[in-house]
Amino acid sequence: MKRIVTLALMGAALLTGCVHQKDLSKFEAAKPTSILVVPVVNESVEVTASDYFLSTISVPLAERGYYVFPVNLVKRMLEDEGLSDATLVHTAPPQKVCGLFGSDAILYVKIKEWSAKYMVLSTVVNVKLAYAIKDCKTGETLWEHEEAMAYTPQNNSTGNPLGDLIVMAINAAVTKAAPNYVPLARQANAKTFNTEGLSIPFGPYALQR
Amino acid sequence: MRIAILGRVFAVSVCLTAASGCVSTRYSWNDYDQKLYHHYKDPVKYDEFCAQLKEIIEDGEESGRVPPGLYAEYGFTQYEKGDFKASCKYFKLESDKWPESRALMAKMISNAELRDKSSKKQSQPPVTEGGAQ
Repeated sequence: MKRIVTLALMGAALLTGCVHQKDLSKFEAAKPTSILVVPVVNESVEVTASDYFLSTISVPLAERGYYVFPVNLVKRMLEDEGLSDATLVHTAPPQKVCGLFGSDAILYVKIKEWSAKYMVLSTVVNVKLAYAIKDCKTGETLWEHEEAMAYTPQNNSTGNPLGDLIVMAINAAVTKAAPNYVPLARQANAKTFNTEGLSIPFGPYALQR
Repeated sequence: MRIAILGRVFAVSVCLTAASGCVSTRYSWNDYDQKLYHHYKDPVKYDEFCAQLKEIIEDGEESGRVPPGLYAEYGFTQYEKGDFKASCKYFKLESDKWPESRALMAKMISNAELRDKSSKKQSQPPVTEGGAQ
């Protein structure tokens, strides 16, 4: 009987354990109030991905309660310092890069996927991002996360098979002309920084804490 | 047109999933992310981007919810355009509002002041080193 109860409890623990809780102890000990977002390393073939992604990151981080350094200014300053190559910035010691701006923590983002797969009648747009926040004093990783999002244009059923085919064909054509990665990147950021247990803790300027 | 509608539908669905994001935000963003995205997409329209940043600041000031970094971002556009007086003003505003920005803003202000002085001495502004050091 006891064994059954323990088994049941273990099962329940496993079920609730599905949302993998992050270990935030290092982050909470470091208590950063400001985050420096450096240019993004782009592993995809879309050359515009890094800049486009950069435009999506300030809002969720600042809304989480942190001072976020102005991303465009930071990017331009690093270029002036001869650090226009994002890989170079990511491999440099965090202390050195942070020292240029006086921040508490530094966020590195790597774009692992930013692509569209064209099928005959529908298209799937994929975005995969790896985030890591490091402490500017020690260089230690305080938090990291990987998030993937996929988007298929909504196939609203017309209730008529032929009508459905036409809608799907239009969707594929539209996405092919301009695959829209940015809303997907925003969604990935929103999920990453708004899901409790996944996200970094609330910062000092957050509305709710 | 269709893309625009699709985009809007998608934006709404993103808002719905992000839930808290759209209902009440800590800061008055005024589509800052969208505007920065358009700037990266079409950098030639720099004046338009500058004007948009200024708008976000003015709107934000009305509700006291200017987002972090916005004064500095706008100040930097003025710096790049060679209006060092204006850039100083906005770097100072950023510095006053956000203590976290003070070290960087002090550097930006002294850079802008230096360039302002030398642009008055000579008609041609000299090339200064990057500044953030």
